[in-house]
Amino acid sequence: MSQATVTQDDPYFVDSPRRIGDIQAEMARQGIDVYLGSRLRTLSWTLDAFCPWRSYVVIPPQGLPTAITFVIDAARVEDDSWLDEDHVWGYGPMGGQDQISLLRDLILPHLPGGNGAVGIETGTATYLPEGNLTQYEYESLSEALPDARLVNAHDIIDRLSLIKDEGTINRFREASRIVDVGHQAVREAIQGGGFRGMTETEIGGLAAYAMRKAGSEWEWSFTGGNEIASGYRTGLAAGACTPASRRELRPGEPLMVDLHAMFKLGLGDHAHNYLLGPATPRQHWHAQNFVDLVDLCLKTYRAGISPTSLADEMLDFCEERGFAEYMVPGFEHGIGMMGDEWRIGLNDGPFPYWTNPDHVYQAGEMVICAMQYACPEEEIGFRYENPILIDQDGCEAMSKYPLGIEEI
Amino acid sequence: MGNFKYLSPEWAQEATRRLQEDLTPEKMKHLTSSMTTIYTNCPDGLERTVYYRLEEGVVQEVSLHLEDAPQAEFTIKGDYETFAQISRAELKARAALMSGKLTLKGNLVKALRLAPVVDRLNEVLATIPTDF
Repeated sequence: MSQATVTQDDPYFVDSPRRIGDIQAEMARQGIDVYLGSRLRTLSWTLDAFCPWRSYVVIPPQGLPTAITFVIDAARVEDDSWLDEDHVWGYGPMGGQDQISLLRDLILPHLPGGNGAVGIETGTATYLPEGNLTQYEYESLSEALPDARLVNAHDIIDRLSLIKDEGTINRFREASRIVDVGHQAVREAIQGGGFRGMTETEIGGLAAYAMRKAGSEWEWSFTGGNEIASGYRTGLAAGACTPASRRELRPGEPLMVDLHAMFKLGLGDHAHNYLLGPATPRQHWHAQNFVDLVDLCLKTYRAGISPTSLADEMLDFCEERGFAEYMVPGFEHGIGMMGDEWRIGLNDGPFPYWTNPDHVYQAGEMVICAMQYACPEEEIGFRYENPILIDQDGCEAMSKYPLGIEEI
Repeated sequence: MGNFKYLSPEWAQEATRRLQEDLTPEKMKHLTSSMTTIYTNCPDGLERTVYYRLEEGVVQEVSLHLEDAPQAEFTIKGDYETFAQISRAELKARAALMSGKLTLKGNLVKALRLAPVVDRLNEVLATIPTDF
């Protein structure tokens, strides 16, 4: 009856016990007695379950971790995860059952004499639901564990989750296949003038329906699910976040369709663009610029390059072709299992909690190849996103939807 | 017959008898579990623990402990007077937990599922003529 993926011959299997063992080995190396994970990315990666409510995972030096989530969702998290009932606890507003009491109960037995180091997750993020420990939680835990040291240790998870395993990669492949189904549904709905009278929200909804039918769990992005923009909204300056609005699609305008699907915490994220006919030669010029750039970018990604070297090469191309001023100067964002979005790699760049521009990509890493073209004065813009798996000689683009900006 | 002194060996014996008589395995959902209730600030200043053990819905044991109580799946701890108020039906157990007057140790998900069963057990205990 469980929804967990626990058999090794399942193409989507991830070896969660091994992940925990790897974390515990690193804890021992760093002198951390207990690890307290609270970030959404950590919960997804360790529990293999989606935790939409404030949740924690307590990882002892040996043995199984225990998850703590809001009691109304604990049974479902247990059903989805690889852990049993005794290792998924619910918290609630009840004596001894509040979050801090449960954390203390789980952590204290692993601190010799109450002393020792508790690895916690703190910092900042561009991503709102990152899940770092709050000040209240930090202070309450310090009070509940007066002799313990709380040590920021999220690097352990960040390092271990950087290179993707086969099961995770297959989940991303499937999520991308589902996104392509969504794009096909949008294409069929808007062709032959079908877009007339439709709104952005309607486009987002019909794509969602098609993707759900194909097995997507939800349109995962916190940016409003499926991001749809039309007309001037496609060209908002430096804009790369467009929750669908009630705006009606109009002939002669661009349409940006950025779809999100989730399959077993693997994420599909692909943006495709249209020109709703009739399109002008100038619009086609913009579109061709963008398509050529995306094509070049996909051909450039490989192990050994960095965000900076890639950006330099891409922006040189934009300059050469005369559209550099329309490009947002970034060509990627990080990606991992649900909750792992935006920053790439480790927190080792010049600006804390931003991608290190000199991060050197390795084979087995995944990023979203992401580009945004915006020309506000002409009310036109395009977006491309596609999860890619980096290898030694190139990359695998997970969405197979044909690259192009067609007039429809 | 006089009243039983709350938390006395006689009270525990009577509790066992009534629980075994009044609660069928069906009523107790064939539950196998254990629970301790820890009474702090008893009138004599001591702390007491009552240990309940159920097997297949049958109450097998109700025992009193001044120290070294057996480990149980669930532990409810609170002031003697709070438990007394619950036994006199002046306070609901749920309200005592929600207000923090009682604390629960153990898996809350399981505990919520078992709450009606524990309520049935408390209802029987409340029928014991007791001097607090």
